[in-house]
Amino acid sequence: MKVNYNWLSEWVDIDLEPHDLADILDHLGIEVEELDLTGSDAIFTLEITPNRPDLLSIQGLSREIAAKTDKRLKKVIDYPLTVEKKQNKEFELTVKIESKEDCARYVASIIDEIEICPSPPIISGRLEKCGIRSRNNVIDITNYVQIEIGHPLHAFDYDRIGNEIIVRRAKNGETIITLEGEEKALTNSDLVIADNRKPIAIAGIMGGEASGICESTRTIVLESAFFNPTLIRKTSKRLKLSTESSYRFERKADIGILKNDSAYAIYLLKKYANGRLVSPIIDTNPDPELHREVLFSYEKANKLLGKNVKKEEVDQIFSKLALQKRGNDNHPKILIPSFRRDIEIEEDLTEEIGRFIGYDNIQTKFGYKNESPIFLEGKELLAIKKIMPSLGFSEAINIPFIEPSWAEIQGKNPVELKNPLWSDKSILRTTLLPGLLLSLKRNLNRGKERVDIFEIGRVFTLDSEEEEMIAAVVAGEIPASWYKERHPVDFYDLKGVVETLLEKLNIQQYKFSECKDNLYKKERTLSLVINNEPIGCFGLLSQDICKVDTFGFEFNLYKLLSGLEEKIRYSGIYRYPPIKRDLSIVIDERKPYVNLENIIKEAINNDVQIELIDVYRDATIGKDKKSITVRLELYHPEKTLTDEEVENDIKNVIKKLSELGAHLRK
Amino acid sequence: MKLDLLKENVEKEIKEATTAEELEKIRIKYLGRKGELTKILHSIGDLPKGERPAIGKAANRLNAKLSGLIFGKKRSFEESKTLQWKDLSLPGRKPYIGTLHPLSILYQETIDIFIEMGFSIVLGPQIETEYYNFTALNTPADHPARDLQDTFYLKDGRLLRTQTSPVQIRTLEKHTPPIRVISPGRCYRVDTFDPLHSPAFMQIEGLWVDRNVSMADLFGTLKIFARKIFGEDRKIEFLPSYFPFTEPSADLWIQCSLCGGKGCSVCKNKGRIETLGCGMVHPNILKNMGYPEFTGFAFGIGLERIAMIKYNINDMRLFYQNDLQFLSQFNESKL
Repeated sequence: MKVNYNWLSEWVDIDLEPHDLADILDHLGIEVEELDLTGSDAIFTLEITPNRPDLLSIQGLSREIAAKTDKRLKKVIDYPLTVEKKQNKEFELTVKIESKEDCARYVASIIDEIEICPSPPIISGRLEKCGIRSRNNVIDITNYVQIEIGHPLHAFDYDRIGNEIIVRRAKNGETIITLEGEEKALTNSDLVIADNRKPIAIAGIMGGEASGICESTRTIVLESAFFNPTLIRKTSKRLKLSTESSYRFERKADIGILKNDSAYAIYLLKKYANGRLVSPIIDTNPDPELHREVLFSYEKANKLLGKNVKKEEVDQIFSKLALQKRGNDNHPKILIPSFRRDIEIEEDLTEEIGRFIGYDNIQTKFGYKNESPIFLEGKELLAIKKIMPSLGFSEAINIPFIEPSWAEIQGKNPVELKNPLWSDKSILRTTLLPGLLLSLKRNLNRGKERVDIFEIGRVFTLDSEEEEMIAAVVAGEIPASWYKERHPVDFYDLKGVVETLLEKLNIQQYKFSECKDNLYKKERTLSLVINNEPIGCFGLLSQDICKVDTFGFEFNLYKLLSGLEEKIRYSGIYRYPPIKRDLSIVIDERKPYVNLENIIKEAINNDVQIELIDVYRDATIGKDKKSITVRLELYHPEKTLTDEEVENDIKNVIKKLSELGAHLRK
Repeated sequence: MKLDLLKENVEKEIKEATTAEELEKIRIKYLGRKGELTKILHSIGDLPKGERPAIGKAANRLNAKLSGLIFGKKRSFEESKTLQWKDLSLPGRKPYIGTLHPLSILYQETIDIFIEMGFSIVLGPQIETEYYNFTALNTPADHPARDLQDTFYLKDGRLLRTQTSPVQIRTLEKHTPPIRVISPGRCYRVDTFDPLHSPAFMQIEGLWVDRNVSMADLFGTLKIFARKIFGEDRKIEFLPSYFPFTEPSADLWIQCSLCGGKGCSVCKNKGRIETLGCGMVHPNILKNMGYPEFTGFAFGIGLERIAMIKYNINDMRLFYQNDLQFLSQFNESKL
């Protein structure tokens, strides 16, 4: 909401520069979003919290400023109402309220001899500063009073409505064309103002075109009412129609101000539109319940604030805020005026004390009792998160909305958004890969030659709700530098990452098996199996997002960690140096290396470590054959092995190799 | 004794030698075939039988020590002569490593601060119900406070949590006060994706429920947090605010680092920047959960916002674009 300094000054003496006034407002919890000092008058853009509809007005803001700066309000809204009977014309109007629940009070008055013209500068200028476009004197005056006093008013053209006003629920199927010229279909949950034929306004939200003020208007009906906030809000939401008026009504208006509010408008209408009040004011609830009582305890308030505020100081704050004390000091009751709808319980009063003494005057403390945390959920995520950068991966965080086609590829039941922000990304992610792929693509496009990124986060499906996952993608070329040649990232780069990750997490019991996930190309992908359960795949991704071979993995994080061995099993170190032997073995192209490794391990009686040195193919080896060179390191825990012992092992290896159809290369 | 004197002399000569040639001369003089120490070793047989073992041992030890000294020093001369010149200014071979996301780093820094203060960590679901996200948090349907948080709804009627506060309710359902927990995680609001907004963001919720917890405790706790994150010298202020689930409510503001509090365009001339929201748990919530005799405080830290203020980042979208150029500027040295 926008308000200007000069208007406020009309209500309260402000001996402060606009900048200092802004600071005072900030400290009252009335946030000044912007202070415009470019014109002759300072304009404040305020963010009013939803609990304080009273502050959506010059009057309400002035009350706060006066209370904070020890001033009195200069202006009081109390204008006499004089009916100016006309000889030749009778004005008839009745008001019928269908339900007091829906409309607790309705004040109507008839003003005649209206002369529609542009507003004087005092009105139009101020409205403009508050961000409201000037229309004509009558409409402007209703808006002017709304800004100054805070209560919405509405004006009907008396000659365009019947002589009956009915506040009722709309009938299903009824429609109204609004002031903005839009037709709205109404239902029984909408409150309308109707004449004896049809709705003439959507209550508290917007008037109808047919009953509105126009150039030829001579007589008006001025409405000041109190509508059920929930009803107004529901209709406003449903019709997607939010106005200055609905905004105030749905936050609860001040039921006590209705008559004074009308009187002020009538005064202005006389002054600027030649209006004459020609009938007694109609008021359906002339004596509404104005005050609410809230029990209060000085002691409890101080306990909650953590500060000893003296009784006298509290009393002073309350009296400045028009909060009257009743009863004795031990069990006082505080009378809350009708414009402070937000104060319902004693903690609300405690907040008033806090606001006015200033939060900065509460001496801070920390009751550090040296207690340790009892549980630390999610702690394990950090352990794995910290390993990934050491494997070359940078962490990405993506917004978890994706295109439904991903879930289709996966064959998963996605969680769909009713109101997606981006219409194509209408489901919650069922995999972390799409986000990572987009990030990867962005980096490649920006000239990175190689990108390794990972993400830890949740995926969502209807079947298993929320699952914590870890995923990583890598693509591009490992760039050349002055000491090494470039080479494209391939499957084994990623496999090495997975193996090292498992090693670092101390996961020893795992298997690799075939991949059945459509997000990957099966020929270049394996699935990781822990505790007999596939927990995800790693390999070449099937979706060609980046126009370059992209490798990736995605594992269910808690299933991965279920394979983690808490205990570290230390098995001693070898004190005697190993004997090393290199073997070049010729084997069928299609025989997996891992079989060879297993055979060697079986054949050797001593402890052995096997390292793959080379895979080689050429004509001399033979068609569909490959030569695999491995380095064996043979250990004995208690001695250095003799040549003879080693030779025996090697002989065994050669014998076993023949079972695989393999032999040593000559 | 003669050996001691000899040792002293030789060590002095070795020390003073400046070339390999000089060292060789010293070697010949003392350890050569006719060298002084060699002579002593040869003449041990002439000594009385009782003295032979001790002197022999000492002489042999000295022989070994001196030849070691001479050899070592000679080699150092030779090495410096033979090592090729290399351009040591060439860049080193760097291991290829990645980095954690700045939000992750800040997340960890933040929860470490609270763990040290005795807060436990609890996690909660991101898909929530109306009840946990709003109703139980004193925000019934059609409450204008719902305007503060535009919500993503799911087709099945549930919603994406707009704040981590539902965990307050879940925690109070499971545990009896006193409770001191923080609950980090992602939250969602229907916001445009622009420099100041993101539809998904990270929040860290704090909750302390006990007998007689006060605003002074709340402010004290958050001051410790803010000082540790932003440094000791930035002014911290608490200003009144409004949240439906706290009463009284406050916002923590921190001195603007760009202007040092004087006021600039970044802080809209306030000299301070709104940093996080907090307050005393609304009594309606405690009453509904069955703990009317307790009080408590709660706060919600928006990590993106904290990171933007801490590192002077002007566009929130950078956190979700994952540009390696951006990511690599943060490091985990504080973890």
